[in-house]
Amino acid sequence: MKCEKCLQNEATYYYEETVNGKTRSLHLCAECAKKMQSGQIPKEDSAPDLFSSPLPDLLGDLFGLSPKKTESAKRCPDCGALWQDLVSCGKACCPTCYKTFAQELERTVRAIHGNVTHTGRAPAGFRAVHEKEQRIAALKKELAAAITDENFEKAAELRDEIRKLTAN
Amino acid sequence: MAWYQVKGNETDVVISSRIRLARSIKGYPFGDRLDDKQRAELVTMTEKALAGQNFTRTDLGSLSPVAREALVEQHLISREFAAAKYPRSLLRNDNKSVYLMVPEEDHIRLQCILPGLSLRDAYRFAIECDELLDASLDIAFDERLGYLTHCPTNLGTGLRASVMLFLPALTDGGYIPSLSHQLSKIGLTMRGLYGEGTAPRGCIYQISNQITLGLSEEDILHKLEETVQTIIEKERSLRAAVTGEAASLREDRIHRAEGILRYATRISSEEFFSLFKELKLGISLGMITSLSNETLNTLLLSVQPAMLSEGASTPPKTPAERDRLRAAFIKHALEVKHHE
Repeated sequence: MKCEKCLQNEATYYYEETVNGKTRSLHLCAECAKKMQSGQIPKEDSAPDLFSSPLPDLLGDLFGLSPKKTESAKRCPDCGALWQDLVSCGKACCPTCYKTFAQELERTVRAIHGNVTHTGRAPAGFRAVHEKEQRIAALKKELAAAITDENFEKAAELRDEIRKLTAN
Repeated sequence: MAWYQVKGNETDVVISSRIRLARSIKGYPFGDRLDDKQRAELVTMTEKALAGQNFTRTDLGSLSPVAREALVEQHLISREFAAAKYPRSLLRNDNKSVYLMVPEEDHIRLQCILPGLSLRDAYRFAIECDELLDASLDIAFDERLGYLTHCPTNLGTGLRASVMLFLPALTDGGYIPSLSHQLSKIGLTMRGLYGEGTAPRGCIYQISNQITLGLSEEDILHKLEETVQTIIEKERSLRAAVTGEAASLREDRIHRAEGILRYATRISSEEFFSLFKELKLGISLGMITSLSNETLNTLLLSVQPAMLSEGASTPPKTPAERDRLRAAFIKHALEVKHHE
């Protein structure tokens, strides 16, 4: 099927929007889909949606960054999704997918956020563990700085504190 | 009272502040993989988690398309949520201005929206609600990736903080493209809210954080707040720098706008936005004292098509009827305010 905007390229994206109860759908090529997302192709006039993501939702390209030679038969134990299912929708299929396809998703997540390590709030059940890990990471940074500064007394103190936290 | 009718801070530039948290429940798939039974379970368990906290539940399926669109126009739900075909509910606490969509793209999308610059209060209310969810639900979280979301763009904090800004002087001065470019360099996104293009209707923009993973909630809020303060100062100084003939022309435009809004009998949506811009500027410059920013913000949301239809005894059937209704509504709102 040809793209309904440029009428030239093959349509690979399906775009749907509802304005004042009227739904319109379009089959688009990757290029026009991107333009539509960035607002270069005007959408119908309507109230603004504060909820829409500031980043394009079309993450298929970013998922393509991940190594292709993944075990194609690997399935998420919770939802049964294959890696291919994540690539085709550009999203995870259930929370467990992030564990199942951790390796495959690493480059995608890094491409979006520039890093892969959460800092910030955690649910109560995780908070103690999470805070400890954050504390250890911070101490390790301090330790590296102390060694660079040749402040070995401080480095020894930091090393002991890290050992104590890791042992618990 | 709805969020937009309440008094806020820095309302000459900031229309509203919004905090959104994305949360998911362990053991439930995302999006299309959810069946209706699971969707109903998600609604029930979220409602239970918030029991006794003055949340009311609205099942979207029971609303007319116009009533759903009116919720979008008030920024209480997303357009996708309004248009979805599956069973879904809005849980709302209007006192704290906290609204939950269950299930949206994620199982739970929680937001708090407040008038003016009030990111901290909005965050506090959102977190109070998040703690209630956390106390009784098995929230999906990974030590490395943080809160797990359907789309990887929301991983980590799941936090999207945003402010809606009124920037007429920066727009008229041609500063928006470079501002938008600078913001993107520091991980913030700017977009025009009403209409498309570089000079959106009403000069209303939204600025929000782009990255949700690797920065703490505090980092995200701090960066956005600092940036918004800088933008407020720049906007105010440009407004104040207009002198001589330009200032006289501006004053004329402002009073003409007030006159049209008070006396016209047909006002299109497009015309309303250009008049809104002048009137809001007039209030902030002290040229119009009979109106408050809250009245104007309420007008901004109330004269949209679905809100107008919802508020009318006989909903308009044609665009012309709607323009007449809009003009009558505005006239009434301004007259009431004038006599107070």
